[in-house]
Amino acid sequence: MENQDVLDLEIDLLEFGERGAEIPHAKAYRVRVDGQEVRVETPCPTGELLLNKVGKRSCAFELIEEFVHHENNVVEPGEAVNLRKPGLKGFITAHKEVVTIFINGDPYKIDRGERTVADILSKVGQTPAGYILMEEKDGPPLPVPDNKPVRIHGCETFHSQVWSGGSS
Amino acid sequence: MDYPKEQVEELKRYCSKLSALAEGAVTFLYLEGLRLPTGCNPQECDALLCPVQREGYPSRLYFSVMVSSPYSRNWNVSNARIGERNWFAFSWRVTLPSLTLAQMLVSHLEGFAKQK
Repeated sequence: MENQDVLDLEIDLLEFGERGAEIPHAKAYRVRVDGQEVRVETPCPTGELLLNKVGKRSCAFELIEEFVHHENNVVEPGEAVNLRKPGLKGFITAHKEVVTIFINGDPYKIDRGERTVADILSKVGQTPAGYILMEEKDGPPLPVPDNKPVRIHGCETFHSQVWSGGSS
Repeated sequence: MDYPKEQVEELKRYCSKLSALAEGAVTFLYLEGLRLPTGCNPQECDALLCPVQREGYPSRLYFSVMVSSPYSRNWNVSNARIGERNWFAFSWRVTLPSLTLAQMLVSHLEGFAKQK
C-alpha cells in the first residue's frame, strides 16, 4: 500500500533520476522538456501531452526520453510514458524531417521545407489547374499563390476548393 | 438591403471591423483591415465588397489601395468615389452562383494567387 505522505509530494524527476532512486507515486512530477521545467499531474502522460507542455505538437516534433545512462528513446504521441521508470531524467524534442499537415481536415505526411502548391494539392489528388489551395494561419483560410513556394514546418492547416473566379 | 446574419458573421473573421455602407441602391460591405493573401503588399487594407451586379460584373471587390501581388492584375477601376473615399478594383469575374459572402470574398482574393 502506498504512503499517503508521499502521494502529496511533487517529485523532481531529474533529481531522482540522477540519484538512481526509486520514484514514488506523487501528486505531481516536475519534468524537464528541452531543459524547461514543466509540471505533470499524472505518472503516465502521453507523448503528445508532454510536447504540448512546451508549446509543441507531434505533427512537427518528436519527443525523446533521456536516461541518466545516456540511453535515448523516441516516444510516440499516443504512447503513455511511465515517469517512474528508473533512470529517466527528462525529455528533449526534435523537429521531424517528415511532418504532418492537414488538408480539408485530414492528416498527410510531407517533407519539411519548401514545397510547391502542386506538391500539397497532390496529397488530395488535386492540381492547381482546377483547385485553389488556402491556408488557415492565425485567421480564416486565405488563397495561397501557386507561383510561390510554401514553407512547411509541420502542423499547417490547408483547405482546397474549386476555382471560382477568373480575370476578365 | 439586408444580408443573411450568419453570412455577415462569417465575413467578420476576415477583417478587423465590418460595417454596411449604403450608397444609391447598393449596400456595400465595408471591411476595415482586410487580411490579404501571402505575398501581397500591403498585407492588409480596407475593402468594399459589392455582392450584387455592378459595372458588368456579378460582384466586385474594391480596395483602398492598388495591391501588389504575386500575379499582376489589370486594375481597371482607379479612384472610384464611394462613401466619400477613393477605391481601386481589378478585373476579376466570380462566376460560381450562390456563394456565401465569405466565399465570394475569397473568390475575389483568389485573383492575387492565380494567373488567369
